[in-house]
Amino acid sequence: MTQSLQESPPILEMTGITKRFPGVLALNRVNFSVKRGEIHSLIGQNGAGKSTLMKILAGVYSADEGTICMEEQPIHLRHPSDSLNKGIAIVYQELSLLPNLTVAQNIFLGREPGKWLLLDNKTIFNRSRQILESVGIDHIDIHTKIADIPLAQRQLVEIAKALSHNPKVLILDEPTAPLTGDDTKHLFDILKRLRSQGVAIIFITHRLKEVITYCDRGTVLRNGQTVGCVDIHNTSESALIEMMIGQKLENFYRSDTATKHLPKQEVVLEVQGLSVGKKVRDVTFQVRRGEIIGITGLLGAGQNELARALFGIENQVAGVIRRNGKPVRISSPSEAIYHGICLLTENRKEEGLILEMSVKENMTLPSLAFFRLSKWIPVVNHRKEHSRVEEFIRKVNIVTRSANTRLRTLSGGNQQKTIVARWLLRNLEILLFIEPTRGIDVGAKAEIYRLLSSLANEGKSIIVVSTDHVEVMGISDRVFVMYKGRLAKIFDKVEVSEEKLLFEIQGGVPHD
Amino acid sequence: MTNNPLETSSTPPLAKRTVEFRKGEVISSIFSQFGILFIVILLAIVFGATAPRFLLVQNIVNIFKQVSVVAIMAIGMTMVILIGGIDLSVGSVALLAGATTMYFINHEVTNTPIAILLGLLASALVGLLNGVLVEKAKISPIIVTLGTMIAIRGLAQSILWLDNSWAWVKAPLFKFVANESILFFPLVVIVMLVMYLIFWFILSQTSFGRYLYAIGGNQKATYLCGIPVERVKIFAYTLCGFTAGVGGLVLISRLSAVSPAVGLRIEFDVITAVILGGASLSGGSGRLEKTLLGAIIVGMILNYLTIKGIPGTLQSAVNGFIILIAAVLDRLSKVRSAG
Repeated sequence: MTQSLQESPPILEMTGITKRFPGVLALNRVNFSVKRGEIHSLIGQNGAGKSTLMKILAGVYSADEGTICMEEQPIHLRHPSDSLNKGIAIVYQELSLLPNLTVAQNIFLGREPGKWLLLDNKTIFNRSRQILESVGIDHIDIHTKIADIPLAQRQLVEIAKALSHNPKVLILDEPTAPLTGDDTKHLFDILKRLRSQGVAIIFITHRLKEVITYCDRGTVLRNGQTVGCVDIHNTSESALIEMMIGQKLENFYRSDTATKHLPKQEVVLEVQGLSVGKKVRDVTFQVRRGEIIGITGLLGAGQNELARALFGIENQVAGVIRRNGKPVRISSPSEAIYHGICLLTENRKEEGLILEMSVKENMTLPSLAFFRLSKWIPVVNHRKEHSRVEEFIRKVNIVTRSANTRLRTLSGGNQQKTIVARWLLRNLEILLFIEPTRGIDVGAKAEIYRLLSSLANEGKSIIVVSTDHVEVMGISDRVFVMYKGRLAKIFDKVEVSEEKLLFEIQGGVPHD
Repeated sequence: MTNNPLETSSTPPLAKRTVEFRKGEVISSIFSQFGILFIVILLAIVFGATAPRFLLVQNIVNIFKQVSVVAIMAIGMTMVILIGGIDLSVGSVALLAGATTMYFINHEVTNTPIAILLGLLASALVGLLNGVLVEKAKISPIIVTLGTMIAIRGLAQSILWLDNSWAWVKAPLFKFVANESILFFPLVVIVMLVMYLIFWFILSQTSFGRYLYAIGGNQKATYLCGIPVERVKIFAYTLCGFTAGVGGLVLISRLSAVSPAVGLRIEFDVITAVILGGASLSGGSGRLEKTLLGAIIVGMILNYLTIKGIPGTLQSAVNGFIILIAAVLDRLSKVRSAG
């Protein structure tokens, strides 16, 4: 790590930053500074003020109070272009690339070099290639469309796009959320290279493990205030969590794993020789009542497709699915639901949330038939619906003003809890959750873990698909590892360890 | 959006936040709820001041009578636009309803009520056809309904052709509806209000209505909730055909004749009314009561232009610009809510 780090003056310093939104104090005299050549992580729960602070740096919001200094000169950021001109570039959590344009076109989107109406394609290609190479990404063809390259690589393109502005400060808002261990490592290799070139990197993540492994310093925010700035090399994951939430956190994953009784319940779901095109090959397993199965693997190892096939939303599915011993045909969500299977997909925004509808309407969408006045009259009994929704808002602990609040106004964690509650209310036997905690804060994560284990205790069978192998280890009774479409390994809770798991995730090759 | 400052999972100054936030939201929701009503009132004041005849009871009743046809047809259009579709065929469907109903009555095939039912059935079938082509054949709704608009008008005109391309509306029921009123309310306006009540109930109180909003909001998510999305959408198109038919029958009763030009270009007035009512062309939002106000705005403007002696050609120019302005407003409101 850079030795001169302690002495060098900060390249960017924010002092006493205050930002008010109607009815809420988002930032309260926050101090934050980064130095040249460090990876500085900004840590905090959702709503702690991280994104607001970064949006002030990006020129999206302007601070109500406080000063920002860049290389000891006060600067004013009124517009995103001000920030770019001062050398501050940001990569947002939601990727902003246009899927139908090529890599190179995306990097230069909106500022294509050229004269009049003619684009200077040669310059675009050469510059794009240079930028990609400078960050060590030489395996992406700049002529491919964004839609055709995997998510992990899109993230790299997004970073390359930010780097094309030659920033002194690079802000990354949860860049690793959709990445697996390998891709994350690769990303950090790139970040380390940038660090050695003197770029100051601000890194926002929910994964404290990454903070511990890769970052130099970290600033923790809580409720819009700075809790402190720590040297990462002298701290631990649990210390950071406790700083974030302001209290001790125990039993993060499951509290009852030791007291798990009723070892051999009946098999409720049986999958035999299931294949999905070439993505899932010949997978066979059984699911028992009341167990939590965690499926992990590298991104694209087929775990998502496996779960989606069980919900009837994959094409080219072959093999046999048995429910309570009887073979069933599942080719659409409504058939899956009929057979007692529900799915929470990994694309919360595209495939789960109906942002303009209320929490209530989102929650009862699959269950409206429960609230009919009578079997044959499809009129909704609003009072019955409302009281049931209120019950689940309390049960799942959704922070919302009322059941009628539009889902758009809720935080990511609460949106996720709403669509989890959607399926709890439907009360099906088998729950498939893909990446249920992606992009949500530690507090909401812990609540979802607690919820999963209490559901299992009620006799529900749960399959959690996640690329976060630590999460999978923490919550599951059995851990399945997928590798290149095959079910490579099944671990029992007692025999699994992080080393063994990583070994299998990598396809049985030693992991360094 | 990990960090929406308005809704935090931690709970700092909760009480304060709730109060202030609510105040802001109430104002904006009042505007979005009643904004269009303000426009109606504003227009009434301006028009009344510049053309005193405009505010005479007689004229207001007249506006409502004129508006009734477009307003009824706008009911189905609201549902179709709600699910992100569009139906250009409503004018032709209106003619089809009128032509078939009058054919059955004038040739004494059936009695009037049955003839009306058959006319409405034909309209609903066209809607069904639109829905099936859009949903099953996956053709864009503009192309499908452009096709049926032309085809159905031709078909309806052929039915008229059997009667020398012109059918008088002689059935007493139609004359009664067109000319009678209860208190101040002409029957055509009552028919309109009853239609709005029925469909308001369907949209706000039934699971079908809920599904329409859900599909418009996020079709994929709705499908993944096990909702039969295709069937719901096809049914919406079918209902749009039905309301177009009802509108067509009200129209011919007011005209007391069916000519080949009945309902020509009315789809634009209907779509304008829906868009003015705040329904988003990308689906997911739209309220019937606001569509009704949108139709009233269109009616008020056209009535005012007529009072002022503006020629019809210029009126359709104005109408076109209203569509454009409404579309721009729709776009602007989206940009604002996204930002």
